[in-house]
Amino acid sequence: MNLGSAHLTALTPMLLVSATIVIVMLAIAFKRRHRGNATLAVFGLNLALLTSLGMLYIGHEAITVTPLFVVDGYALFYTALILVATLATATLSYAYLEGFKGEREEMYLLLCLSALGGVTLACAQHFASLFIGLELLSVPLYAMIAYPVKSRRPLEGGLKYLVLSAVASAFMLFGIALMYSQVGSLLFLDVGAYFAGSASPIAVVGGAMLLIGLAFKLSLVPFHMWTPDVYEGAPAPVANYLATASKVAVFAVLTRYFVEAGGYYQISLVKVLSWLAFLSIILGNVLAVRQNNVKRMLAYSSIAHFGYCMVALIAGGPLAVEAVGAYLLTYVVTSLGTFGVVTLTSSPMGERDADAIYDYRGLFWRRPYLASILTAMLLSLAGIPLTAGFIGKFYAITAGVDAHLWWLLGALVVGSAIGLYYYLRLMVSLFLRDPSNRQFNAPLDWAQRTGGIMTLLAMLLMLAIGIYPQPFIHLLQLASLTLPG
Amino acid sequence: MTFFFYLAAAVAVISTLFVIFGRNPVHALLNLVVSLLAVAGLFFMLGAPFAGALEVIVYAGAIMVLFVFVVMMLNLGKEIEDQERRWLTPKVWFAPAVLSVLLLGGLLDVLLTGGQTHAAATTTIDAKQVGVHLFGPYLLAVELGSMLLLAALVAAYHLGRHD
Repeated sequence: MNLGSAHLTALTPMLLVSATIVIVMLAIAFKRRHRGNATLAVFGLNLALLTSLGMLYIGHEAITVTPLFVVDGYALFYTALILVATLATATLSYAYLEGFKGEREEMYLLLCLSALGGVTLACAQHFASLFIGLELLSVPLYAMIAYPVKSRRPLEGGLKYLVLSAVASAFMLFGIALMYSQVGSLLFLDVGAYFAGSASPIAVVGGAMLLIGLAFKLSLVPFHMWTPDVYEGAPAPVANYLATASKVAVFAVLTRYFVEAGGYYQISLVKVLSWLAFLSIILGNVLAVRQNNVKRMLAYSSIAHFGYCMVALIAGGPLAVEAVGAYLLTYVVTSLGTFGVVTLTSSPMGERDADAIYDYRGLFWRRPYLASILTAMLLSLAGIPLTAGFIGKFYAITAGVDAHLWWLLGALVVGSAIGLYYYLRLMVSLFLRDPSNRQFNAPLDWAQRTGGIMTLLAMLLMLAIGIYPQPFIHLLQLASLTLPG
Repeated sequence: MTFFFYLAAAVAVISTLFVIFGRNPVHALLNLVVSLLAVAGLFFMLGAPFAGALEVIVYAGAIMVLFVFVVMMLNLGKEIEDQERRWLTPKVWFAPAVLSVLLLGGLLDVLLTGGQTHAAATTTIDAKQVGVHLFGPYLLAVELGSMLLLAALVAAYHLGRHD
């Protein structure tokens, strides 16, 4: 297997992210400067993002780079999406970490490393690259979650994520080994060809164990226990990264696995997955209602959202990949805005983040723009028309209707109704009277800060997708996968 | 010659259970070394001598070194010496020792009876073949593996600092 110039060109986004990692590491070793190191990281990630978008628009042919990776429209689309989420996290971290007493620069290094794992997952078409990508995505996250090492909650969150993530990885490795023992190949396409025929029970058990590992990373319901604690403990920008980039990368590889490695042929697994989706939607939404902590509420809401996205995946058919892409795109844009406002309200980092609903009381009277952005984002999370969230949900429902998944669609509708209640609850508190002893204020010049600009952009993008989705649908169609059969 | 295969598998499972249920980290390490040696035996029986040798050198060896370092760093005076004496009661080393002797017996059995591998070992995979694969189709996986190590290093550095 030779690596020619065509292969290297196809890998450009991945190579640029890797180069950024090395350069940022050397820059930190040379001289610690928060602004300089952050700028370097953001510059490199931006270059990678522009390249991947450019390659996507030019209409890249699918190129297989060694058996491990394939660079096609699908991979480029998710690469871009992951890089956008990473960039947003980097800009948010900058304002947030100004208040951090220890060393701030490692955050950017860890962030770039984790993004490289995400990009690897987007291109993975082989179990080896799936596993390495997943580990590369998670290992830096342990340190990012526990970044303020001296505080109790982040450490607790980091430890929980570390232990449970290791267990999930063990399940997944065992599953892959079982499948390999039957198939004799680690390529998705070979596994797909095997499952298209009659599969042995051992391979099906292997497939189930792989799904357990992936469902843990996506925090679908029986495997969701870690989510609220980790989101609550993690610094706000890291929670943002967990909710967006890390989940999108895993969902991207899950979808490719389903389409190419014959997930759809494993009828029993699809049935189990629909139960997982059903439970995620119902439990995620019901538990979110009881939360008084915004980060915990968003954690439960992300469980529910990935349940909705699962509906689109389970539906299968020609629309599935596009619907999943639409849902993930709208979810990322919306979450970036929501967590962006939470981070900006908590910046610079203090004793704790502004995560109680009480902290948001009367935000509108203090910071009208910030509160307006949060309002719009919450409406989008709830899926109100003219916002991006509506387009995503519309896609998911269309795919579900095509596949006659009536009881899952019922759960989706009921879940959305419950969701509206707790999103509105937070929204109402934004406009209540200002309490006298307020603790949290976004810095006055928030809009000039890079993080403020980022949230503003996220809101504009969210409205653009909601009002005029055509260009984005075009983008999604460039990122299609060919379904078998 | 499947007897040693199943013996080594049983030893691996039992010693790993001791690792999990052991309360003292140093005792757990002792059992972990036995477990890794047993797994190395499995690799040999399955026709992967290179992987087996790596298992012994890297895992069992490196963990042994770590173990020694820990003991060296803790070994500061009379009090610690007493503590070590308390640690080294027969109750502690008996189980790992018995398991190791079992492994040794199985190993001798294989050596004396001609050294056949398990039936599942259709081909023997040596270091050259592993190298050809790592520098061929899995080249990028090796590169990403280096990034993974870097990530673990940076994470450990950040979390492990005392200041």
